Amino acid sequence: MIDVLRAALRLPSAKIAVGILIVIAFLAIFGPLVAPFDPYAQNSKDLLQGPTLEHWLGTDDLGRDVFSRLLAGSTVSVLAAMQSVVVGLVLGALPGLLSVYLGRTFEWITLRIMDSFITLPFLVFAIAMTALLGNGLTQAMVAVGILIAPAFYRVTRAAALTVSHSQYVEAAQLFGATTAWVVRKHVWKKVFPAIAVTTASMTGASLVIVSSLTFLGIGIVPPEPTWGGLLATDLGNLYQRPFGPVVPALVIIGTVWALNALADALKDATTDAGAPPVSKQKRRELQAVPHGA
Amino acid sequence: MVRDDILSVTGLRVVTRDGDPLVHDVSLAVERGGALGIVGESGSGKSLTCRSILGILPPGLRVDAGTVTFDGIDLTGLDYRSWQGLRGNRISAVFQDPASYLNPSITVGKQLSEVLRVKTGLSRRAAHARSLELFEQMGLREPAHVYRQYPFELSGGMLQRVLIAIALSADPELLIADEATTALDVTVQAEVLDLLEDLRRDRGLTLILVSHDLAVVSQICDHVVVMRDGVVVESGTADDVLKRPQHEYTRSLIEHHTAYGIEKFLAEEVLDV
Amino acid sequence: MSELLEVDGVEVSYGRGRAERRILHGVSLSLAAGESVGLIGETGSGKTTLARTILGLTRLTAGSVRFDGETVSGLGARALRSFRRSGRLQYVFQDPLQSLDPDVTVRDSIGEGLRIRGGLTAPDVATRAEAALASVGLPADLLGRVPGQLSGGQRQRVAIARALALQPRLLLLDEPVSALDAANRIQVLDLLRTLGTDQGIAKLFISHDLGSVAGVTDRIAVLFRGDIVEVGSTRDIIARPQHPYTRLLVGSATTLTGGGVDRERRRELRQALADHG
Repeated sequence: MIDVLRAALRLPSAKIAVGILIVIAFLAIFGPLVAPFDPYAQNSKDLLQGPTLEHWLGTDDLGRDVFSRLLAGSTVSVLAAMQSVVVGLVLGALPGLLSVYLGRTFEWITLRIMDSFITLPFLVFAIAMTALLGNGLTQAMVAVGILIAPAFYRVTRAAALTVSHSQYVEAAQLFGATTAWVVRKHVWKKVFPAIAVTTASMTGASLVIVSSLTFLGIGIVPPEPTWGGLLATDLGNLYQRPFGPVVPALVIIGTVWALNALADALKDATTDAGAPPVSKQKRRELQAVPHGA
Repeated sequence: MVRDDILSVTGLRVVTRDGDPLVHDVSLAVERGGALGIVGESGSGKSLTCRSILGILPPGLRVDAGTVTFDGIDLTGLDYRSWQGLRGNRISAVFQDPASYLNPSITVGKQLSEVLRVKTGLSRRAAHARSLELFEQMGLREPAHVYRQYPFELSGGMLQRVLIAIALSADPELLIADEATTALDVTVQAEVLDLLEDLRRDRGLTLILVSHDLAVVSQICDHVVVMRDGVVVESGTADDVLKRPQHEYTRSLIEHHTAYGIEKFLAEEVLDV
Repeated sequence: MSELLEVDGVEVSYGRGRAERRILHGVSLSLAAGESVGLIGETGSGKTTLARTILGLTRLTAGSVRFDGETVSGLGARALRSFRRSGRLQYVFQDPLQSLDPDVTVRDSIGEGLRIRGGLTAPDVATRAEAALASVGLPADLLGRVPGQLSGGQRQRVAIARALALQPRLLLLDEPVSALDAANRIQVLDLLRTLGTDQGIAKLFISHDLGSVAGVTDRIAVLFRGDIVEVGSTRDIIARPQHPYTRLLVGSATTLTGGGVDRERRRELRQALADHG
């Protein structure tokens, strides 16, 4: 597992991505502490200011410091994204792994459930969930977690299926190994990279969804700052602060890009990139075999 | 007596993009109507040598030095158009996995007639008749039935015969068989080798047989080249190489058979089959 | 009875009703302790199915498999697992690249069976793994490597060591050298010829090629279209084959010297087989 990460980090894009993610993680943990102003403090004298030495990113329509709100919003946005990924992992990866080993009935039921999850429209489902369970970030994120569960389910299941049909698993079974042994000693190592790739890209995806939802005002109670919420406020005051949405948008885009770049690097590290493209060689060989068209 | 070589390779060197040589100073020659065997493990450079002769080296590899002369034509300097006139027409090849060279959704007969129409300009009707004839010559029983079958309906041995029929459609002078019998059962392998030997006798087809198995090659070849790590370690007539191997590697190949093959029993018994 | 393995009238079919296909039509075969037997058959003859049936990986529809006097066919999951954990019957796959987990070190691969069986301390497992590796002629410094860092011949010897670590009474070897190149083949065959003769380990070699197992077997059984058509001493099978298929098989074996069977004779043998069935 560690060598996969090490191989992935050899790529420059992965290095940049990890750098960005470290900064974001830092902001999420310490952001509220290092914020120069109270993110909730209103100031009716300095409404809708541009960037100044005092307010680096200016102030919003209630005179709150945008930079401080951005830092404070990091915690909520990142935690929300992680919440939904954890829900997705538990509801997706776990049944995906078990579907290979717990018999046909379990396999059939989980497959049907995942199929029905896929058909749910993202935003509508999240809105319906918050309408049903009350408007709160946790409710919204559970909804998002359910929606991304099929991705985890399919990836885990596919990886586990491949391994479970391998000869080394059969060899272990011929030694009298139990299913638990096979999963622990053989399957887990092969499934982990696939889950890691999906986790990285799904964190990115759910960050976008969190931002979209909070942008729409779902899952968040107004004074609380989030990246999506900031974007919404800034878009509302575009005339006064035309540059306003740029920074929150860049933060969202940068984080999502970093997560996707990391996912790509992990994927490259797990699939053998050194092998020559077979189809190309086959095409060349075909030239030596007479053919029609 | 002067040898009439249809193909000669001298000092062939194949290198990677970084200049690492994979095939080193390989020289060999095949007499018109002769059969040459190239023996070696995977990675010995035997397949790269063949692919250089066919001008189909894998991407990233190139011929760096040496000449390949086919019937007086230098193949190393050939352009694409000239290759098209040569490959499949005068030089043809069959490889290990026949199914991957056929279109799975078209009947094998149709694929052969298509080739015949393109390569020899036969009419639809004539191509059909010629296909049945070729299938029959390849030892396929009930050619009319085989003609209508899809690749997945045929066994590996039958598919390889179809491929050989296609390879021979334009009546080439040289056929290169690269591990063409490796994936087949022993009895089917013998059938295909017998077929190649028949074709050589009846049509004067020149053969280059590439295999990892010295016994397969010695079955029909009169000359043998043994390769290892991109270098020719031994070459000569099949008789010389088998009876008086000079290189230790050749000796180990022979030992494998004498120690563990049925040769062990041949020394003491006359087979009653 | 001194028979170690007794396969008695084993039938295996796949599918049901009209789609039913019988793979094995009542195969019987027995093996004494310490014996080395070859099972020869072409693609689709049922030799892999027979091996899987003996191992309890495929269900038989009739007949029985007895090992050391115990019926091992039709066991329940628990009983089968406990029989497997005894380690008395071991299987060596054709391609070690697939049968060894690419992420697991040689030490852990060889020790896996022992650890699954349980009852040994970790140092004991390590000692046994080392001893098993030494018994296939490999140095102890390979223990920390993964399969990708070994040559093909070394890999197959590790796979054999893995089987030997459990001190089996019977080794089932499925084309053990066909994935190897010539130099490695000799190494592995040299090993297999002498292996276990002092411990009385029986060996069943499964192969499509008579030539590749002739030098390491006492007896040979020929499987053809789901039936064993001939059993005899290796010498008799090669020099005096009786069944038309065996005759063609011997006549088709590629040899350095041609074996005295020419194309014309082979053609007759093929015809004889076609007329036979």
